[in-house]
Amino acid sequence: MKQLPNILKEIRPEFDFTASQDFIADGMLDSFDMMTLVATLDKTYGISIQGTDIVPENFKNLETIAALLRQCGVQP
Amino acid sequence: MSAVTTVGQVFDAMQQAKNDASAFCTNFFPTQGRLQDWIDHDALLVEQRAGAVFFLRRDHEFWHLYFCAADVPTLRRELAAFPSVKSEPVAVDLVGKEGALDSLLSAVEFAGFRRYCRLLRLARSGERVQSAESSPADAQVQWGDPTDLLAILELLEASFDRYADQLPMPYEIQAALAARQIQVVKCDGMLAALLYSETQGFTSTVRYWVVAERFRAQRLGAVLMRQYFASNPAVRRFILWVTADNENAVGKYRHYGYAPDGLTDHVLLNSLIRS
Repeated sequence: MKQLPNILKEIRPEFDFTASQDFIADGMLDSFDMMTLVATLDKTYGISIQGTDIVPENFKNLETIAALLRQCGVQP
Repeated sequence: MSAVTTVGQVFDAMQQAKNDASAFCTNFFPTQGRLQDWIDHDALLVEQRAGAVFFLRRDHEFWHLYFCAADVPTLRRELAAFPSVKSEPVAVDLVGKEGALDSLLSAVEFAGFRRYCRLLRLARSGERVQSAESSPADAQVQWGDPTDLLAILELLEASFDRYADQLPMPYEIQAALAARQIQVVKCDGMLAALLYSETQGFTSTVRYWVVAERFRAQRLGAVLMRQYFASNPAVRRFILWVTADNENAVGKYRHYGYAPDGLTDHVLLNSLIRS
């Protein structure tokens, strides 16, 4: 299974996602990227991330995305 | 339809559509800040339907339609039965990879919308601009100030398409001026050209770049664009949207290193917008 940094790299190849603690504030993910990421995570891990969880706080960095995945029953 | 009064209401409505969705589809990618702006200005309405939710956002004399649906067949069924698209002037944007939007286009056309235009997203890396272009000696780029608001509004409305280019409301221009997002060139005290951008961290978006008709062919646009790149040295990704068949504009952006990144935006209008 693809690792989270690789999934992010496929969406925005120009950025190093391991070097940021706030993808949104750093302009590395916009709202369209976020929805693309949600669709990719849903498909990759066979989950359905809830609409109420699609908020910037959950997509700030690798740790918060991993926490969201754990909440969905996935060990990223 | 009812007015949206909190950001949470939007996410709750989206969740309703997402529950048990087999192939969730949406054209709604709001940031919390922008949502709050729309709510503060009473510009956002919502209607929850079976397996879908529709939002209408007021824009001048028409509405933008946003949807979230469990799947495309649900969208097709519910949109065709949604009364507001029969009674109000409505535009809808479908954003995605070219070729992946066919089923959404078909569902929206089934509800009576017609294709109006297509936009392309262009992107460039943060490399420095190598240019031998000379600049007119008296062209001074400066930040727009609140006294420029009316002239900016007039120039944007005269130069851009309100259905395709999502022209800003006066309050948005005011906020952009305060946030130093609008660079201008003035000639004899008149607004001659402007570049309106939004920078967030490593990404910067050009929203509007325009030279007033009577000031064209003086390289004022080039002065603004070079100044824009120079004033964003930390930016790694520059993006913008441009009408696909505007070869003149696409050519100018290509000159500065922009190229299509694969994302497209189909703009469709209903029959109550006669354009």
